[in-house]
Amino acid sequence: MALMSIDNLSVQQRLFDACLDIHEGEVLGLIGPNGAGKSTLLNAITGLLPRSGRISLGGQNLEQLGSLQRARQIALQPQFIESVWALSVHDIVSMGRLPWGDSDQSIIRQVMEQANISEFAARHVDELSGGERARVWLARVLANQPRVLLVDEPVANLDIHYQQEVMQILVDYARAGHAVMIAIHDLSLAARYCDRLCLMDNGRVVKTDSIGAVLSSEILTPVFNVEVYVDLENQPPVVLAQ
Amino acid sequence: MERLLNPVLILLLLLVALLSLTIGTLDLEVSSALANWFSNLFTGKALTREALIVGEIRLPRTLLALVVGAAMGMSGAALQGLLRNPLVDPGLIGASQGAALGAALVFYFNIFPGLGTLATPIAGLVGAALTLFILMGLSGSMARPAIIIMAGLAISTLSSALLAVVLNFAPNPYAMQELVFWLLGSVSNRGLDNLAILFPAFVIGSIMLLMQRKLLLGLSLGEQVADSMGLEVTKRGRYIVLGTALLVGSSVAVAGNIGFIGLIVPHLMRPLVRYRPDRLLLPSALAGAIFVLLADILVRQLPPERELKLGVLTALVGAPFFVWLVWKERQRWL
Repeated sequence: MALMSIDNLSVQQRLFDACLDIHEGEVLGLIGPNGAGKSTLLNAITGLLPRSGRISLGGQNLEQLGSLQRARQIALQPQFIESVWALSVHDIVSMGRLPWGDSDQSIIRQVMEQANISEFAARHVDELSGGERARVWLARVLANQPRVLLVDEPVANLDIHYQQEVMQILVDYARAGHAVMIAIHDLSLAARYCDRLCLMDNGRVVKTDSIGAVLSSEILTPVFNVEVYVDLENQPPVVLAQ
Repeated sequence: MERLLNPVLILLLLLVALLSLTIGTLDLEVSSALANWFSNLFTGKALTREALIVGEIRLPRTLLALVVGAAMGMSGAALQGLLRNPLVDPGLIGASQGAALGAALVFYFNIFPGLGTLATPIAGLVGAALTLFILMGLSGSMARPAIIIMAGLAISTLSSALLAVVLNFAPNPYAMQELVFWLLGSVSNRGLDNLAILFPAFVIGSIMLLMQRKLLLGLSLGEQVADSMGLEVTKRGRYIVLGTALLVGSSVAVAGNIGFIGLIVPHLMRPLVRYRPDRLLLPSALAGAIFVLLADILVRQLPPERELKLGVLTALVGAPFFVWLVWKERQRWL
């Protein structure tokens, strides 16, 4: 049975009848051109937008959960995060525990290890580089320990080394008995790290299927309006605009 | 270090309060005077002259300065956290102008004549409450914090315009002078009964703010993150606006405008709590109380015939600080 299933999820003028399942241990990639509705879908699942349709998590209707209960099960990492105050890395990671109302140090230590940021736990976040910061934001959402983790463009501004590191952290989190949904523009990374892909366009889900079934020139070209070159045999796989 | 902050501030506050009770034209034994004043309260024992001075003049003045300072400091810290902006002043929210307008009507039209000296603070409180209701109506039930503040700004502009009308049509120059002096802000010549108005508002407002500390922390990473963590920014943000309005409105109703405390104090305290907006409330309240009381002690040292108003002093110190803050922020964005 699916961990989370989404039926006819709609957001006025932005998302139309999206249907989607995600399973335990799975990394699902959301792909599609700008304005396809990827972020809208993630925000709607999190409850940040007025929505219609039905979402069930482990068999339970999401509407029946209070906002804090929901936040314990589903966590969102938005595309743009900034800390207005010069908080310490440890304080930011601890914020992941806010929905739970505790500050479980063993979890916080563990996710800082996972994200490889333990060495600068005491530093202020505004002194860190972009790549270091991205891992701090990620550790915050991991400390939340959600069953379903939604991540919006986690690697958009990172160099190739950090891109790999962040994607691997997300895959590891999924394999540990959770589910991860990632909105991502880099199709080669999506092919390499995701288990299944959901292609979106104009606020609609076009196709949700295995990597091989979604990433083909015939399917991608009309959606992205550009010739797409696909080589999934290569290690790592390559998906690029021609 | 951080753990010691609140105890140290409380100790400082007690010392400054003691200083405030001690300092005055008459040299007297504060402890015995206070003891006498308290025993008069409970047993009706005759008051000595010293007890009268300490209990009826210095004590109300000290307590008012403390509560007004605490209210300003805490509301500034909360509002800066809510709006994620270190340059926000609690006066933005419109409650202080509403309170000023309410009080102004007392000076001219002598409304609430039965209330005696309490007419001004009560009218001020009514004015603040009215602006608040208009504010909530204007911003609507789904408003994000930024919209509420825009509405607050609009209403405070409106109140200021009405206040200008009131000043323009002053019935006589004395009434105008009295009003202007009152608006400048002071804690002198106000009895303990003023505290009966200020204190309950202070307690309720502070509790409303202190209950939203989680939201303030969550908002450090933006409204989207705070909402995704189940913190209900729209709903809980309103409590912060309400609490702030209660603190600021009641303070202005009792003491007039004592500006810049809410802007400066949170700024000074922030590094001491490692920039945690949730931990900033209490130290800002304590430091605000200390600042206002120190400023009032300073005012009392100046020649009494042309008293410098407390609000003028805080503005004189605060405004340059504000300029410096803007300058510093500008450097950050260059």
